[in-house]
Parts: sequence; structure tokens; C-alpha cells
Amino acid sequence: MLCTSHQEEVAPATLAEKSRMHATLRLAFARDDPFGQTTLAFSHQDPPLRVVRAFYRGDGSAMTHLHNVSGGLFGGDDLALKVDVGRGAEAQLTTTGATRVYRREIGTAITRQQNEFIMSEDALLEYVPDAIIPFAGSSYRQDTIVRLSSNAGMFWWEILAPGREARNEVFAFERVEMQTNIAAGDEIVSIDRMKLEPHKNSMTSPGRMGPYLYWATFFVCKVGVEAEVWLGLEAHLRKIAADLPRLEETLWGISTLKAHGIMIRCLAKQGCDVTSGLFCLWDAAKCALYGRHAVRPRKVY
Amino acid sequence: MDKDSSGVVPDHDPALIELWLLHLADSALPIGAFAHSFGVETLVMAEMLQVADLDVFFQPWLEQAGVTEAVFCRAASRLATGESFRAKEWLELNDYLSALKPARESRKGSAVLGNNFLRAALAVCNRMPLQHANEESQRASAAVQHACAFGLVSGALRFDEDQAVRAYLHQSVAGLISACQRLMPLGQVRAQQILWDLKGHIIDAARSSAEFTIHDVPCFLPLLDWGAMEHPELFTRLFIS
Repeated sequence: MLCTSHQEEVAPATLAEKSRMHATLRLAFARDDPFGQTTLAFSHQDPPLRVVRAFYRGDGSAMTHLHNVSGGLFGGDDLALKVDVGRGAEAQLTTTGATRVYRREIGTAITRQQNEFIMSEDALLEYVPDAIIPFAGSSYRQDTIVRLSSNAGMFWWEILAPGREARNEVFAFERVEMQTNIAAGDEIVSIDRMKLEPHKNSMTSPGRMGPYLYWATFFVCKVGVEAEVWLGLEAHLRKIAADLPRLEETLWGISTLKAHGIMIRCLAKQGCDVTSGLFCLWDAAKCALYGRHAVRPRKVY
Repeated sequence: MDKDSSGVVPDHDPALIELWLLHLADSALPIGAFAHSFGVETLVMAEMLQVADLDVFFQPWLEQAGVTEAVFCRAASRLATGESFRAKEWLELNDYLSALKPARESRKGSAVLGNNFLRAALAVCNRMPLQHANEESQRASAAVQHACAFGLVSGALRFDEDQAVRAYLHQSVAGLISACQRLMPLGQVRAQQILWDLKGHIIDAARSSAEFTIHDVPCFLPLLDWGAMEHPELFTRLFIS
């Protein structure tokens, strides 16, 4: 009896502990000269993280889908994504769908995702994932480090949904912490850090989310571009944003960073407005900085 | 007996130190704080912030932006009380806080206030860390953020750290409430009542800031970020930010 009782007490935590995933996905993209085509030169894949292949595109870039074959992130999962984009290489990364963060079981640790993106000289990374959806009772922490070398650029966004809206799960998660540090060489370009605990702090207060449900941050960076160019791009993107549809449902804030880039902050009542607006702004920014259009990831939206 | 420029009182006299803090934390100190709303003007113009919302606006402001600024104020204060001034850390501290501010106008506005505050303090109390900080920031063409400047001066003048942080937060909130008075139908009495009622939250924010470092303090005020980012687009503006 004593043994049974003991098992009953510890079993849930032990099972949850056993099902924790500690996994790393490492990807390295390299420019294959003299053809000028970027290739997925190296990958290390721990389950449940997977990439199947890279799609090579006419503009010389390589596009890869990030898969989590377990269907989402579970309590206690500790996952890492490490991406190197080599000198002159151009890579685009997207997810196959929204990142679902499941409810944390009693006894499991917070779900962790650590991202590191390193861009060598003249490299370009487009990181355009689908939204993160933190389910009711989930607890999620994401730490991202971005290191940009000389003349390296990136278009990088993150979208946070309020939860499973269709189930009326709006801001029912336990906690979401996200931190993104961007550096150009030794210089800090931006630090974006948030900790959301809706049960402690109202999300709807003015100053926080107000009446909006979706949050997105889009970084446009290219090391070495002069401050005046960024100011011009800020004004240009603001005009693009002003022409986006359904502005009564969406807010777009655009500002130059302290150096080397622009941050775009979006608040929206519906997720579809976020994605469509991000695509427009991404395209405009890529045309301005690289003289060519953004190519959307090969998938159904 | 040690004497300060104020005359007959030694400069370690607690009463004198208290008066220095009152002087430097006074919103009437001419550093230009009245010219900045840090995004509040946009929220008011967009009818997203009204008089009835102010209580629930300033509480999260203190919990997020207030705590963040307070963390840097504390860190700068400790820099000034060290045996030797650590110029590299001073520059990094300001750089870090600049990187945490997403909106250009608010970032620059805070840097203008920080520079003005540091120079105003230097003009009345020429202490070694303040001189070094000013010289290093000028040499590196680096921003001096307001919270860092206030913290540094507080440390150099041996203000109690907790007291200085509370004073900084009080002054910051008072400045924003003053901006609200010029932007919306907010009368003197109601404005003072809001500031009075926020004192408990100011104390909480100051306490909370002691639990964070500059490397982990979070700040989530996206609607205010939007207001600050889009402030340059307002057709008529009372404020610089």
C-alpha cells in the first residue's frame, strides 16, 4: 500500500519528466560559389525538430520549413534552434504552421525555446514563422539571440496569438516570456523583452494591449546602412502601413532602432490582418534595401 | 568642518542630502521634461486614453516602464558609489537602456533629458563621477539616458538608493500626469488625486526594481510603444515625443 501510495504521488511528475524533450536543431546555410546558390550545407536534427529539405530558388536563396513532428511544445520541453547563415548566403526559414504551446502539466517545467541566429558578412536571413499560440495553462519562455556581421541583413518577425480564440481561450495562458537580443558585431542594436502573466496583470489595460488580441514584432535590419536611409525607410513603410486594409482593427507602429534597422510593432484584433500586413511591409522593405521583391514561403496560408 | 557651496552645512548632513534630492527630483528642474509625453499624446489623440483610464494606465506603466527605468537608475547609482568610476560600464548601461526603447522619439527624448540633467547637476555640484561620465559620454558621442543620469547623480551625492529610485519614479509619473493635463480635460485637483493615489504603486515599483537586473527586467507596453513610434506622424503636436 505504501508503495502504491508513493507511486500515486510521484507518478504524474515522473511521467511528465520522462516525456520532456531536450532537442537541438542546427542548420548551416552556405553560398555555393561560383553559382551563387545558397545551400543547406549542414544540419543536426534531434527529434522532434526536423527539416526535410531546402528549396532552392531562382534568386539564389534557400528556403526551409521548420517542423516540430510532435505537434507542438509541451511542458518541460527545452528546445534549441541554431542557425548559421554563411558569408553571402541567403536563407529563408518558416514554420509549417502555428507553434502550439500546450498546457503545462503539474510537475513539469516551463516550456523553453532558445534560438540563435548568426549571420556572417553579406548574409541575409528571412525568418517568417507563423504565430505562437499559447494554450490555456501553458507556460512558455523564448530566448533569441541574433548576431549580425558586417553588411548582413535580416527580416525577422514573431507573432503572438492570445490563445485558441475559437475555444474562447483568450489570454488564458499562465505565462509567456520572450526576449530578443540583436547585436551587430559588438554593438547592441535592440533588446525586446516581455513577460506576460494575464492572471496577474490585465492585458487589456491602456498602454498594454487595450482592445487588441494579437501582437507582432518585425525587425528589418542591415548592418552598415546609414541612419538617414533608415529614417527614409521608416517614412516609406509608414505610408505603406497607412494604406493597409482594416486599419480600424489594426495598429502599426514603425520606428528606427538605435542603429542598423527598424522595428515594426503590430497590434491587431484578428490574426489574418497581422500576416497580410507583414507581407506588404516585408516586400516594401526588401525592395528598398535589396532592390527585389520578397518571395513568400512556399506553403498555404 | 566640511562645507558645501551652500554655506555652513557639511555635505554629509542628512538634512542637506534630503534637500538636494528634493531639488533634483523637482519637476520644475529646467531639463525640458515638460516637452515630452513619451507617446501619451498619440494615445490621447487616437482617443485610446481618456481621463477615466488614467488610473489603470499608470499602474501598468509603473509595473513595466517604471520598473525598467528604476533598474537602470539603481545600476547607475551603484556605479557612482564605487571606488573608481567604471566608464565602460557607464556607457554600456546607457547603451543597453537605449536598446530597450523601441521608439526613436522616446529614446532620443530620454537622452536629451539625461544630458540636460547631468549638466544641470554638474553645474551645481561638481563631483568626480559626474565629470567622468559627462566626458566619457561626450567622447564616445553616446546617449545619456535620463534614468541613468538621475541614478548616477544620486549615487554621487550619496542619496539613499531606494529613496532616489522612488523620487525618480514619482517625478516621472508627475511629468506624464502634467502632460495629460495639457492634453485632456484633466483638472488640477483630479490630477493631484491621481498622483496621490499612485504613491503605493510607486513604492511597489521601486521595491520590485530591486529584484531585477538590467539583463532580465521585462517591459511590455505595446500600445504605448505604438503611440511613441507613431508620434512623429501627428499633424499638430504639443510635445516633442
